[in-house]
Amino acid sequence: MTVPAAQMDNIKAEAITIEERSPFQVVMMRFVKHRLAMVSMAVMIVIFIVTILAPYITTYKVDELNVNNYFLPFGSVDEDTGRTHYLGTDNIGRDYFSRLLYAGRISLSVALLSVLISETIGILVGAVSGFYGGWIDSILMRFVEFMLTIPTLPLLLIISSMLLRNENLIPIPESLLKVVGDIMLLGPKDARNAILIVIVLAGFGWLSSAQLMRGTILSLREQTFVEASRSLGATDVWIIFKHMIPNAMAPIIVDASLGLAGFVVAEAALAFLGFGIQDPIPTWGNMLSATQTYMFDKPWLPLVPGLPIFICSLAFNYIGDGLRDALDPRLKL
Amino acid sequence: MTAYLIRRVLQSILVVFISAVASYVLLSFAPGGPLSGLRQIQQGGRFKITEEDIARIRASFELDLNLPIRFSRWLVGAPKGPITMGGKEYFADTVVGCRKPIEAEVTNSRGTLEIITVGCKEEVLLKDLVGRRTSRGILFGDFGLSWRLLRDRPVSDLIASRIPKTLQLIGLETLLSLIIGIPLGIYSAVKQYSRFDYIFTTLAFMGSAMPSFFFGLLFILLFSILPKGAGLPYIPAGLSESVRNYTIPLIGDVIAGSAKDRTLHLILPVAVLTILNIAGWSRFIRASMLDVLRQDYVRTARAKGLSQNVVIMKHALRNALIPFITIVVFTIPGLFGGAIITESIFAWPGMGRLYILALGDYDYPVAMALFFILSVLTVIATLLRDILYTIVDPRIRLH
Repeated sequence: MTVPAAQMDNIKAEAITIEERSPFQVVMMRFVKHRLAMVSMAVMIVIFIVTILAPYITTYKVDELNVNNYFLPFGSVDEDTGRTHYLGTDNIGRDYFSRLLYAGRISLSVALLSVLISETIGILVGAVSGFYGGWIDSILMRFVEFMLTIPTLPLLLIISSMLLRNENLIPIPESLLKVVGDIMLLGPKDARNAILIVIVLAGFGWLSSAQLMRGTILSLREQTFVEASRSLGATDVWIIFKHMIPNAMAPIIVDASLGLAGFVVAEAALAFLGFGIQDPIPTWGNMLSATQTYMFDKPWLPLVPGLPIFICSLAFNYIGDGLRDALDPRLKL
Repeated sequence: MTAYLIRRVLQSILVVFISAVASYVLLSFAPGGPLSGLRQIQQGGRFKITEEDIARIRASFELDLNLPIRFSRWLVGAPKGPITMGGKEYFADTVVGCRKPIEAEVTNSRGTLEIITVGCKEEVLLKDLVGRRTSRGILFGDFGLSWRLLRDRPVSDLIASRIPKTLQLIGLETLLSLIIGIPLGIYSAVKQYSRFDYIFTTLAFMGSAMPSFFFGLLFILLFSILPKGAGLPYIPAGLSESVRNYTIPLIGDVIAGSAKDRTLHLILPVAVLTILNIAGWSRFIRASMLDVLRQDYVRTARAKGLSQNVVIMKHALRNALIPFITIVVFTIPGLFGGAIITESIFAWPGMGRLYILALGDYDYPVAMALFFILSVLTVIATLLRDILYTIVDPRIRLH
C-alpha cells in the first residue's frame, strides 16, 4: 500500500511535533517539576560557587587576627585597612565571614569526598556480593550486618579520637595530602586531619549503600538482558560494569544525595563534640561548637555557622527527594 | 525457630565479643592516658620521678601487661596468677608484660623525634600478678576503676550516678514521642493531601533534616537566653538542676534542687529530643499507614459498612504498626546509653555526656565500659526486633 504524498507530509509534520524524549530528559522534566528540589538545587549551586570563590570574595585570611577587636558586630569596618567584617569577628578577632566561607569549602569537600568514597566502596562490594552470591555474599553481608549492629556514633567517636591523637597511624601519601589540601585550601598537616575524618565517615557510610546495591543487583541478575549478554560470551567484569552498575545507579544517586546531607551533619556533629576537625581549621561544626561559650552574651552567634549546616542538610534532602521522584516514581512514599 | 534463636544468640555473643576487642585495641593505641602527664612533669624537672615510680604507676593501671593479657583481665578477670593444679603451679614464669621498658628516641621518616620501646629491663611474670588488685571482669559486671573522672573509684559508681538521669530523660522523651507521634502520623495519613497533611509533612521533613546540635542551641536561644534577657518567663537550660536559687517572672522563686527546679530543667532537652524523634517516627507511621490503607482488606472492611474509626483503628493501624516495632525497639540502647549530642548541649549529667567526658579526658575504662554496655544493648535490641517481627506477623518466617 502506498501512502499519498500529501498524507506522507502530514505524517512527517506530526512526527516532528511529537518530540521523542530520552530517558534523561524525562528524568529532568520530572525533577524540574519538584519545586522544592529545584529551589534547593539553586541554593546549593550558589553555596558551591561562593565557597569555591572563597579566596576571591573574602578580604581576610582564615587565621588573620584582628587584635583587640573581638566580637565586632555585623558589618563593622576595620579602621586601619578599610576592610569590612560582614559578619563581625569571633572571640579572638578572626573575621567571621571569611571563616564561614572557608569552613563551607572544607565541610562540603569532606562531605563530597566521603560520599564519593563510600558510594564507590558500596557499589563495588554490593555488586560483587549480589552478582556472585554464595559464600562471597554471605561473608560480605554478614560483615556489613555485623558493622551495622555496632552503635555507630560511639564507635565513630572512639575511632576519631584515636586517629586524631596519633595522626600518623595511617600513612597518607604526600601527593594525596597536597591534592586534598588544594581542594580545601589547607596545608598538608591540616589536610591530614581532614582526610582522617573522611576516612572515619566513609568507613561507616558504605555499609548501607552496599546493602542497597546488593538488593538492586539481585533483581537485575535474573533479567533477560544479563542472560543475553552472558550467552554472547561477556565476562563477569563486563556484565558488572557495563550492565549491572549503570542499571542500578538510580537508587545509588538518591542514596548519595541523602548521604551528602548525612555527612554534612555527621562531620559537623563530630566537630561539635570535639572529635572532628580541630579549631584553627574552620568548619561549620567547630565554629558552632565555639559559639556555645559566648551565646549568652552574643545570642546571634550560633546562627551564623548553624544555619548553613541546616540549609545544606535540608537542601540535599530535598534534592534527594526530588531525584527519587524523578528516577523512580514508584518509590514515592 | 529454636535453631534460629540459638544461632542468632551465638552470633550476637560473637558480635559483642568482636566489638569489645576492636574498641579495646583501638583505645589502647590512643596515646594519652594516665602516664602522659607524668612525662611532662618529668620534663619540667621540678619533681624528680624515679623509674621505680613510673613502674609502680604503670602497674597500678595495668599498663605494664601485654595487650591480650590486659584485655583478658578486663573482660573476664583472668589470669589472676599461675594456674594451680594439684598443688603445683603452672606457667608461673611465663612473661606477661614489661615492668620497665627501655625507651629510645629515634628520628622517624618525617624527621621528628619519637619515643619508642626497644626492649625490656624487667619483665612481669605470671606469678607477679598474684596479689594485684583485679576486677572480676566486665562480663561479670565489674567495670574496673576509673582513671580520671572519679580517680580510683569503681566505674560502676559513675554509671550508677548517671543512669537515673538518662532513664528520666530518654524515658520521658520516648513516652511523649509515642503519645504524640503515632496519632500525628495516623491523622496525616488518613487526611492525605489535606492542608494539615501538607504542613505536617513539610515540618516533619525539615525536622528529620535538622541536626540535633543546632536545634538544641536554637531552643536554648529561643526559650532561655532571649526571654531571660528581655525579662520574660524563661526555661532554664544546662545541667539537670540549678546550683543557686533563682526567680523566673510569673513562675516565681525556684529553690535549687527542688522538684520544680528539676522539672524546669527537664523541659528543654526533652522537648528537643521529642520533637526530632516525632519528626522521624510520625513520617514512618504515615508512610506505613498509607501503605496499609491501600490494601484490599481495608477496602473490604469499608465495603462491609464498618465505620471509619473501626476501619482505621482495628484494621489499618494494627498492621501499620508492625514495621514500627523495628524502630521502637531501638530506644532500648538509648534508654541506658543516653543521647550523646543532646546531653552534651544541655550539660545533662547522663550517660551520653559521661561518654564524651570519658573519651575527652582519656578515662578509657569508663569509655570502654559504656561502649560495652551500649553494644550489648544494641545487639539485644536487634535480636529482639527480629523475634518480635515473627510474633506480630506470622507471615514472616525465620530461617
